[in-house]
Amino acid sequence: MPHHIDLYVKRESALHRLDPRPKMLAAVGFIAAVLLAPIHPPWPMGALLLLLISTAAVARLPARLVCRRMLSLAVVIGMPFLLSRLGGEATRAAGEQFAARSLLVAAAFVVLMASTRADVLLAVAARLPLVSVFGQLGEFILRGADVLAEEVIRTNRAWALRAPSAALRVRLTGLTQASMSLIARAAARSERIGAAMVLRGFQYTLPMARPAPLPWSHLAAGLAFALLSLGIAGAAKWR
Amino acid sequence: MVTGASDRDALWRARELALAGLMGALGLLLPIGFHALGWGGRVFLPMHLPVVVAGFLVSPGMAVALGIVVPFLSSVLTGMPPLAPPVAPLMAVELAAKAGAASVLYRGLRLPMWVVLPGALFIDWAVLALAAWLAAGVFAIKAGAIQYVAAAIAISLPGTILQVVAVPLTVLAIERRVPRLRPRKQDWTG
Repeated sequence: MPHHIDLYVKRESALHRLDPRPKMLAAVGFIAAVLLAPIHPPWPMGALLLLLISTAAVARLPARLVCRRMLSLAVVIGMPFLLSRLGGEATRAAGEQFAARSLLVAAAFVVLMASTRADVLLAVAARLPLVSVFGQLGEFILRGADVLAEEVIRTNRAWALRAPSAALRVRLTGLTQASMSLIARAAARSERIGAAMVLRGFQYTLPMARPAPLPWSHLAAGLAFALLSLGIAGAAKWR
Repeated sequence: MVTGASDRDALWRARELALAGLMGALGLLLPIGFHALGWGGRVFLPMHLPVVVAGFLVSPGMAVALGIVVPFLSSVLTGMPPLAPPVAPLMAVELAAKAGAASVLYRGLRLPMWVVLPGALFIDWAVLALAAWLAAGVFAIKAGAIQYVAAAIAISLPGTILQVVAVPLTVLAIERRVPRLRPRKQDWTG
């Protein structure tokens, strides 16, 4: 089921069909490679960027969409980089490292999230031994966000129909009241949800569907990507 | 039907998970609303509001888990705060410290709200300084952690004022609406 808040882009591609577990493995390998690779000489970072661009092309993600999502990071990456140019040689080098690594890691997340549904990733995280609590809570938050987003959309529509030309002060008062009401109702709603969960057999953990078997070809693809990324970083570091 | 102590415990856990989930959902939606109005997230700290409120209403463990999950989930679902540069990890540390401290001080030690909120804010800033120092080491950034925290506090002053005003009012309103959520003895064990 599509969610109200998600960065997933629906496409028919090999990357979209790939099981999320090897995709996470590949992402971890890629990020480790970005953190390990030196930025001088620039070829390892260039090779990693090329690898990422090829992956985005395989996923058939529009270049405009990827660029737009990267553009939202312009301030958080660009400002420290520009400020570092004012400093000495060491500060400038640190700024370059920061910008290059941040851009590549951020781009990897853009490609991963555009090709994988968030609820599927959370379901994988809910089975991992150390982060299962976070995964379960995350699944709960995602469902809660859908419910509350529906309420916000309904309230917004009602507001637009009943008071389309209200003054800003009236709108802000309404927004504050609606937010307070939403929080109070969320607390009251949790009482009912909790009782319903226990009646359905909740025993400290949420029920989970059995994981689908992981095809060897998918695992090999994820592993190959991670090893290739680490190989590039390793070749540059220990040359 | 709830019969024994185990069932009551499960019901408490389930309600807590549901409440934390819905507060976490608000932690995703409020920043979207603030961004839509053109109000900066770093200035008004909209994600902090529901997470800190949850800190007053759930056990310390759940409050810390919520503080860690919300920034990462928001990053995954909306792209903000970014994972790289490490804004989301720093926010996770900050929110976990703040919500956890609020829960320990309010539900565990049963301190009054006017002591808990400043206490949670100070613990948050101290933990943020430590996290920024560690992150600077990992990402090879040569900026000082103290300067980072000082800048963060100065930028987010309106958000801090908003928290000081809105959080106690919201917690009191919720406790009046759902009296069961007031601090109880078993919160320490929960």
